[in-house]
Order: sequence, then structure tokens, then C-alpha cells
Amino acid sequence: MKRARDYGDIVGGLLLIGAGAWFGIYALEYPVGQLRRMGPGFFPAVLGALVALFGVLVLIPALFRGAELPKIEWRPFFMVCAALLGFALAVERVGLVPATFVLVILASIGRRGFSLLPTLVLAAALAVIAVVIFSKGLGIPIYAFRWNF
Amino acid sequence: MDLIANLALGFEHAFSPTNLLYCFIGVFLGTFVGVLPGIGALATISMLLPLTFHVPPTTALVMLAGIYYGAAYGGSTASILLNLPGTPSAAVACLDGYPMSKQGRAGVALLMTTVASFFGATIGIIILTLFSPVLAEVGLAFGPADYFAMMVLGLVAAATLTQGSPIKGIAMVLVGLCIGMVGTDVQTGQQRFTFGIPELSDGFSLVAMAMGLFGVAEVIASVHRIRDQRAADRPKITFLSMLPTRDDVRRSWFPMLRGSGIGSIFGALPGTGPTIASFMSYAVEKRVSREPSRFGKGAIEGVTAPESANNAAAQTGFIPTLTLGIPGDAVMALMLGAMIIAGVQPGPRLVVEHPEIFWGLVASFWIGNVLLVILNIPLVGIWVKMLQIPYRILYPAILLFICIGVFSVNNNTFDILMVMMFGIFGYVLMLLRFEPAPMVLGFILGPLMEEHLRRAMLLSRGDPAVFVQRPISATLLALTALLLIWAMISLLRSNGAKQRGAAAVANEAA
Repeated sequence: MKRARDYGDIVGGLLLIGAGAWFGIYALEYPVGQLRRMGPGFFPAVLGALVALFGVLVLIPALFRGAELPKIEWRPFFMVCAALLGFALAVERVGLVPATFVLVILASIGRRGFSLLPTLVLAAALAVIAVVIFSKGLGIPIYAFRWNF
Repeated sequence: MDLIANLALGFEHAFSPTNLLYCFIGVFLGTFVGVLPGIGALATISMLLPLTFHVPPTTALVMLAGIYYGAAYGGSTASILLNLPGTPSAAVACLDGYPMSKQGRAGVALLMTTVASFFGATIGIIILTLFSPVLAEVGLAFGPADYFAMMVLGLVAAATLTQGSPIKGIAMVLVGLCIGMVGTDVQTGQQRFTFGIPELSDGFSLVAMAMGLFGVAEVIASVHRIRDQRAADRPKITFLSMLPTRDDVRRSWFPMLRGSGIGSIFGALPGTGPTIASFMSYAVEKRVSREPSRFGKGAIEGVTAPESANNAAAQTGFIPTLTLGIPGDAVMALMLGAMIIAGVQPGPRLVVEHPEIFWGLVASFWIGNVLLVILNIPLVGIWVKMLQIPYRILYPAILLFICIGVFSVNNNTFDILMVMMFGIFGYVLMLLRFEPAPMVLGFILGPLMEEHLRRAMLLSRGDPAVFVQRPISATLLALTALLLIWAMISLLRSNGAKQRGAAAVANEAA
């Protein structure tokens, strides 16, 4: 779908301007110093200004040309993030094996045509591999099962 | 002669049973992740970085390096068979490799890419062997201003020589520099941009950043893009089908030589690496060819030249990393990180103070490349089979190994959340068509650059003229300026061409 303006670069340029301005202004809270003896604020302040400048350079030409809108993969996006979050929450509380099941199931829901049984088989296989390689083989201190709330 | 004595020392270390074993593991894993689309050398090295704490530095580096150049060998397999690059640097191999495969010449393409890879890597290693000691000596004369200028050149090269727009490339470098500022300021101890989060006082972790940007974001984009192969589409690779014709060999050897040259130059320049080298090499071949129309339709030199360039660059990329301590890309930064963790300071003194590490590594490259030829020619069938692992099995496994790898660095779930954040960030960048690679380079070089800039200004008593008075820094900055001017001209020219094209279309419509 072609649009009249390059909305991707318009958004990108605006984000750069915003982030650069914020970064540069925030850096001024730290001592700036002089050229001879620069403080911790000097280099970041210059960088922030430059980021904002390049944001303008990205933005301006985008206002005058058309482009296709990017297609966003919402389902994989949310489920992959959920899988990582789930693993992070589970691994220290209930251990590596349950965390592996959480990650594999959530991640697999991210793909069209999800079915439970093959996913559970995959999770079991990966859990065994993970325990054998990482905790037994390489001796990384990570519990297979635990109860820590 | 010094060189021979040094190489002998290197081989003595490289041929120890432990190092040989780790070299083999490295190149094997490298080929494996190179063949598989959706996971590359960078993610693998980040995952294995914590495991190398337990082995001596030479052994760790031998293995990590093996993953890197092993992936450069394997990357083209998926390009040729599936039209889907296994690594970014193999993207160019799709252009002529896949048409060859459709013509039933997949076997020839696979054999010739291995030959081209070995050829390119050999030339790269020779250049590395000959020039590193020389460059290390020059490096001893480098002052802070010269280091700063060298990093500016590297960053500008990374930003302007990408596929996308140079303006976006420079913007990404600057964003990376900003992200690199997070953490404790080395000179004053001031906490910058940490917002009181104790985990951020050492800055963002490169491993978390690399895995998020290149691992997680890639998985999100690939979940529906990579279709599972049906058994019927599977090409049969027999040894007979791999035999190139005399014409293939005749057409290939000179482009391979040119490709290796181009690759060696772009590999040695900090900021540019195998991907840029392979694209440049393809462009050059198309330009010098007497029959440019053959390209894109299965021209053998369109596969062999970029493949040589890519592998030569993978070897010469070690030159600035080992001799100056300036990493040319994210993989090299991880390698540098591994050295620092092992207590070895990379830089001009490395060659003199730790000859066993430097020459042991160089010698392991020779061994590794021979192993790769063995792995890739007789065992090509295994790699072709690997490509049939369905992605629905592969991507949860990739995510799991990323999580375990990053968790095991500090035993800290904060790092997993960081990976998720960078994954989201990386996916947004992908949607907005910004390249993450220049940003990672900016992130790595940011603190180094600031330190050298401050030291240079202190030494010159605040006089910025020091950058043009010192011959090394003046030369490097002049090169940077040339690069910027060239980028600007080609940007204006391509815009002009587009406008003229649009005008022509409008005229025709009228």
C-alpha cells in the first residue's frame, strides 16, 4: 500500500529529534567543563544536538516523497516478548525446566498454526537439552527445579 | 627469520589438543549457525561468551574466532538453495546462487563457494600475517588524537557504506554513541543516564544489546517469513553434480582474486566488514564484466567473487582489533571483550607481549580453514539436511539459548529484560528501515572515543588544531572528509536520477 508521504521516515525523524533533544538537555545537568578540561556533560550534550540535527535531515525529505507502510507482525511481536518476560519471571522462582516450558509455549503461540501437543514435546526435549548442556555439562549454577517465592 | 619463528610458535600453540578441539567446535558451530537463517555468528558468540571464562584466553579466542569465520563459509548455503541468506554477508549470494540452483547447478555453486571461501580466507590470512606486526609498530606511535581520528573514520565508514541512506547510517552511529554514554563516567565517576538503576552503572551490556537487536528482532521478523521446506523441493546434491565445468573455473579465478583484494581492504578498515565487502565486490564484478547481462541469471563469478570478499574480510577484520584495539564491528567487539575478561589488553603491545596469543590465533585460522574445507565439501549433505529443520522448532530453541546465555553472565534476570527491550527496539528499527549495525559500533566505540577526545584536548591545552597538526590524525580525518563528500555526491546523484526518472514517467503519462 503506497502512501503519499514516507510516514516511516517521518516517524523515525521525529523520534530522533525528540530523543536527541531530550538527551542533550539532560546532559547539561552534568558539569560541562571547557574544551581544555571537559566535564562528563560535554560529549553527551554535543551528541544529543547532533542526533536531533540528523533527525531533521531524515524528516525533511520524507515530507516530500511517498513510500509503502511497513507491515507489522503483531502476533509474533507480542508473543516473543511475552515468552522472554515469562522466562525471566519463572527461572528464578520455579527453575529452568518450568521456565523452558513457559518460553516454548508462549513463543510457539506466536506462529500461525499453533498446536499444543508438538509444542509440549518440543518443550520437553529442549528442557532436557538445556539441563544436560548448561547445568550438568558446563556447570552453570542454574536450578532445574526450585520453589523460591 | 622472525616471521617463521613466530608462525612456528603459533602452530605449536594451535596444535595443542585442547586448542585443536576448540577450533573444531568453533568452526563446526560457525558453519551450523551460518547455514541456518535467523541465527548468526553474533548471537552465537554472545551466547557462548560466558562459557569461555573457564578456558585459557587463547583457547577461548580460537573458538570464538572459529564461529565467526565458520559462519562466513556456511552463510551462502541457504542463499543458494532457498534464496534466503543464512548470514547478512551472504545476501548477495542469492542474486546468482539461487538462479544457479534453479538451473540444477546447486552442487556446482556450493562447491565453488567453498573454494572461493578458502581462496579469500587464505589471502586474508596472508595479509593479516604480513601486515599486523607492521601496523602494531605504527600503532605504538598513535596518540590520543590519532585514536580519536581513527574511530571517527571507522564510524563514518560504517555509516556511509551501508545499504540504506548514509544520513540514517550517521544518525544510527550517533544514537549508538549516546547509548554508550550510559553508565559511570570513567574520569569523574559521575553516574550518567542511569536513573538510579544500579544494574546500569556499568552501562548497557553489549551481550544483551547484541542478542536483542540481532537475535530477538530477527526472530520476530522471521516467524512467518521463513516457510518450512517441503521434502519435494529438496535438491539432491551428489558429488558428481558438484563438479564445476572448465568454463566455471576459467570465469571464477580472476574475480576471486579481485574479490579477495576488495574483501581484505574493507575487512581491515574499522567500521566496514564482510557484508559491505561482498556487496562492493558484486558491484565491481558487474561493472568490469564484458557481459553484465549474465548477472542475476546464474553467473558463477557473481557467487564466487563476493564469497571470496566476504571471507577475506572476515580474516582481515582481526587486524585493527588485534593491533590497535579498535573493534571493526560488533563481533570484533565481543572478541575484544573476551580478551579483556581473560586479562589480555588488545592493542599495539599485544603482538610483542603476548606473541603466543596473537600467533596462536593466526595459526588457528590456517587450521580452521582447512577444517572448514573438509566440513563443507564431503559433508555438504549434512548442511543441506539441516536446512530442513522447521523454523517452528528452531525459533523457540534460539530464544531459549539466548535467555540461558544472557542469564548465565550475571545470574540476573534484569539482563533478560534488557534483551527484550533491545529486541523491541531492534524490531522498531527494522520497521523504520534503520540499520542496527552502525549503532552497535557507535555504542562500542562511544566511551573509548570520549576518553581519547578528552585526553587529546587536555594534552593540547584545549586547542582543537591538534587533530590537523599530527600527521596520522590529519591523514585519517582527510580520508573521513573524502568519504563524507563521496557519500553526499552519490546521495545527490541518486536523488537527481530518481527525480529525472519520475519526470520521464510523468512525461510519458502526459
